[in-house]
Amino acid sequence: MNKIANLWLGGLTGVLMTAAIYMTFVYVPTEADQGIVQRIFYFHVPCAWVAFGAFGLVAIAGIFYLWLGQPVWDDLGYAAAEIGMVFCTLVLVTGSIWAKPIWSTWWTWDSRLTTTLILWLLYGGYLMLRAMADDTPQVARFAAVIGIVAAADVPVVIVSVRLWRTIHPAVLVTRQGGHGLEDPRMVATLLVALAAFTALFLWLLMLRFATLRMRARLGAIARGLNLAQAAAGDL
Amino acid sequence: MAGFAAVLRKDLRLELRGGESLVALVALSLLILVVMVFALDPAGGVRDAATAAGALWVALILAGVIGSSRVLLAERDNGCIRALIASPLDRGALYWAKLTAAFIFMAIAEAAAIVLMVLFFNLDFDWRLMRMAPVIALGALGFAALATLLAAITGRVRAGDMLLPLLAIPLFVPALIAGVKASGAALAGAPFAAIAQWLKILVAFDVLFVSAGSLLFEYVIGEE
Amino acid sequence: MTDAAPIAARGLFKSFGAAPVLRGVDLTVAAGFAALIIGRNGAGKSTLLRILAGLWSPDDGAALLFGEPSAALPPAARRRVGLVTHQSFLYPNLTARENLEFFCALYGVAGAPEQIARWLERVGLAVAADDRVRGFSRGMEQRLTLARALIHRPAALLMDEPFAALDAEGVAMAAALIGEALAGGCAIVLTAHQPLAIAKLEFALYEIVRGRLVARPADGGAEPRGAIDPRQPAA
Repeated sequence: MNKIANLWLGGLTGVLMTAAIYMTFVYVPTEADQGIVQRIFYFHVPCAWVAFGAFGLVAIAGIFYLWLGQPVWDDLGYAAAEIGMVFCTLVLVTGSIWAKPIWSTWWTWDSRLTTTLILWLLYGGYLMLRAMADDTPQVARFAAVIGIVAAADVPVVIVSVRLWRTIHPAVLVTRQGGHGLEDPRMVATLLVALAAFTALFLWLLMLRFATLRMRARLGAIARGLNLAQAAAGDL
Repeated sequence: MAGFAAVLRKDLRLELRGGESLVALVALSLLILVVMVFALDPAGGVRDAATAAGALWVALILAGVIGSSRVLLAERDNGCIRALIASPLDRGALYWAKLTAAFIFMAIAEAAAIVLMVLFFNLDFDWRLMRMAPVIALGALGFAALATLLAAITGRVRAGDMLLPLLAIPLFVPALIAGVKASGAALAGAPFAAIAQWLKILVAFDVLFVSAGSLLFEYVIGEE
Repeated sequence: MTDAAPIAARGLFKSFGAAPVLRGVDLTVAAGFAALIIGRNGAGKSTLLRILAGLWSPDDGAALLFGEPSAALPPAARRRVGLVTHQSFLYPNLTARENLEFFCALYGVAGAPEQIARWLERVGLAVAADDRVRGFSRGMEQRLTLARALIHRPAALLMDEPFAALDAEGVAMAAALIGEALAGGCAIVLTAHQPLAIAKLEFALYEIVRGRLVARPADGGAEPRGAIDPRQPAA
């Protein structure tokens, strides 16, 4: 069953991603003001969407883990956090590449950039905890709590960062994206790219989740083997 | 309620006797402010309220990371945390007692840090400090709530001491932004209305983390 | 309250990593009876005690105190449990009296000042009552630990090597305290490296062998009394 789902999801991701790449580089017209570099927008926005979705999933999985105590929820949260971190990094990188020619700086403390950076730091801490601690139910509870608290913090971060920027002398008022989608082909390209990245996320999530489940099963089998060996020693 | 009072009384008594947390907090605040003076060099005669406020909050965060978590880490000695878990003490009472102790220590350390800030940054002792007091108090409460919950986690993980700032500082960002802005405005003599919006964020942050802490503490303090 | 046995273990399994420590431990100790568990170093005695106390969670099986899972014991039931572990649970910067005051407050002991004075006298620490525990020798610490575990008159007592670090007079004192608790209807599980030759105390003797609990007839050849046989009695 897993193999079939894997093939389907992988195939779907491949098709959608090919379409998204074709549309981004060939099909969609070049944006008038920003030129060729605006095309990164079609990768940047889906990455942000996936990163936010993944971190939301971490919190939801955390709530279910604390509530039900089933290890599957912990594995789901762990997998989502890892993949979310990859996409969050991509958001920052693609944003920087875009910002250099448009804003003529790699980094600016724009409210969205700042919020994304804080998000990246929050989940960096989550993954540090998981990397440094052992794989026990106790640490799983710790991670669930961090995941929930981090997600609860995000709205306050967004509000405070926005307020911080608005009263600060605004050097750069240009909003990232949002403009220049007057052409329906641009909207179509963005939608296909969103679908492609969502499929990619789900595929990666499934693979990573399956790996973690397999690792848990391996641990159980090793324990069982040792128990059987010890039982044989009793005779 | 009896459990809350017993734990808090015990913690305050230990503090009066050993004085580890409070002395560490005040000494660190002093050191960080000195470092900030060297780094920012405000001695050119310019009274920069924003810089002073920034330095104060750096001191609050760094001293808080190291000092306020001590309150819970002190229970590691001789496995006392296990005794508390096995005792009839309510988990909620334990959280509130630890939060109260951490807040008291942070508040005292911040009061000392404010005096040092006024001296080091050539400010005046006047009504502006009174306007800054609620900002600092809310910041200290928020950080204490955060540190109490996180220390229960990092105190039971290998190399957890290193992990605490990595987790605490990003989470504290909203309160930090609001606190620095509100403190700077208060020190510059801005009217109360100017800091009201920042106070709202601080209150929201405190409500969020105090309630998250009291709800989630039982999950991090339970059996291993 | 229920008539369930004060202390019980049902098919306890515990592994550290893949290494099994407990492999199906069953034990029931009725009120007024004591079980002595011996075993070589690392046999799992402390692990069993900690699981019974609800400090560690077992991989499988259940640890029950008064018929309820140890880890999720309601406060009223926790009030009736006494615990001695390798860690003293004492605050080094508090005096002996202050440590007991704190535990009396936690357990809601009535008439605390008189009780504390009486117990300090019993464990031979009356002269050191107002000295800080930091300066105590291991033996003195162990004496105070015994007072701390017994002062609230528990109905279930879990003691990991209660005689450790005690001198001959201390061992006699501790044995007298344990005897009193037994006579008062307390159920006791205690551990030691080897069978104890203590007059006037009768234990059901068990040994942890390769992760299992094996009943051992006492030196005199009498069958274990009080405690119900584990799943697989010794051949």
